[in-house]
Amino acid sequence: MSMFYIHQSVCVSAQKTNGVIDLDDIQPIKDNKLQAIEPNYDAIPPAMYRRMGRAVRLASGAALPLLNTLTFNGIVMGTANGGLEDCIKFLNQIVDYNEGKLTPTNFVQSTTNAIASQLAFFSANKGYNNTHVHRGLAFENAALDVGMMLNEFPDNSYLLGGIDEISAYQYNIESLANMYKKEVVLNTELYNSKTAGCIPGDGCAMFAVNKQKTGATAKLKAIGTLHTDKEEDVTQYLKHFIEKNVKDDALNLFLSGENGDSRYLPYYNACKKIVLNVKTEGFKHLCGEYATASSFALWLACYKIKSNNLKNVLIYNNFRGKQHSFMLVGDV
Amino acid sequence: METAALKHQLKEQIIQFLNLTTVKPEDIKDDQPLFGEGLGLDSIDSLELIALLERIYGIKINDPKEGRKILVDVNTMIAYIQQHRTK
Repeated sequence: MSMFYIHQSVCVSAQKTNGVIDLDDIQPIKDNKLQAIEPNYDAIPPAMYRRMGRAVRLASGAALPLLNTLTFNGIVMGTANGGLEDCIKFLNQIVDYNEGKLTPTNFVQSTTNAIASQLAFFSANKGYNNTHVHRGLAFENAALDVGMMLNEFPDNSYLLGGIDEISAYQYNIESLANMYKKEVVLNTELYNSKTAGCIPGDGCAMFAVNKQKTGATAKLKAIGTLHTDKEEDVTQYLKHFIEKNVKDDALNLFLSGENGDSRYLPYYNACKKIVLNVKTEGFKHLCGEYATASSFALWLACYKIKSNNLKNVLIYNNFRGKQHSFMLVGDV
Repeated sequence: METAALKHQLKEQIIQFLNLTTVKPEDIKDDQPLFGEGLGLDSIDSLELIALLERIYGIKINDPKEGRKILVDVNTMIAYIQQHRTK
């Protein structure tokens, strides 16, 4: 599939990625999490802001600079959990008040499509509005959706985004499921960790994309996704992906989604052997682990292509050893 | 509870339920309209206030016309609470 060009992007993360970008000044974990630094919300009307859950706030903060300056034919978001904090508050209300009178705010904010619809309200956008919720492949599926829409309507422009929040409830539940590090591991030491678990994070990355090369900063050349827990399936897929999409082009950087969890490291090590001579960097020490962290990786790839004059960046991410994705990002 | 103390408590509860983070109890006047030009609340807020009355004061409002008369300002809410509270 011919993919699309990325013209502008905004990233709200635990690092200095929004406004003045400084990735050398690595922000440390707080309470064992890498929570996104919330942007300035002055542009959001107070009546709207007071009802917003964290996911909607992060997405609004990231999207407004793009919505205020560009026109989009549609808004396509990827989020595994949407406003999970509000979802749990709403479910707790059902129990606490014995299925009695429930209030609408938590429910409205908890639906996964609240994010894309809120952005449509801000910009009075009545075009295509879709939200993909395929856990660790939510963002990739949103990007594939945009790719297909642009194949059908090549003159259109879309706002593409990936968002997830880490809430207190979610942190506790996922901790019980042994998803997070039990010991304190600094994010700067993440890749030296030999134990199970990762550092949780959250954030949002938004991209203004279309089929027009002029003025673009990068091109998303290809996406591949697969569900498997077999290492050999992943490596076979990667070999085929490289043969089909990279061909003779130089591959300058392999962005590895390893998250310090020893259980999933074999997948990354196996893939690194295939791109043995390519420089490898991680990104989860910057953004933490969340289901749509690949959107952060795409933003990072665009940033590095532009600032380091790279030709091609290959991103590999897997979510809990079952959902795998490859994204090839190139210069323009 | 004295009416003045009950009013202050109700204002705190309105701020908490509606997440009016920039408003303090003393900012809400007793006769200030809750909706429209006053405190600027809207229809979703009215549902939140009805839930507030039920959960904290045990008052069930099932008739929307009745709700319109009660949710005018803090004075009307307090008068109704004092007459009908079950908690």
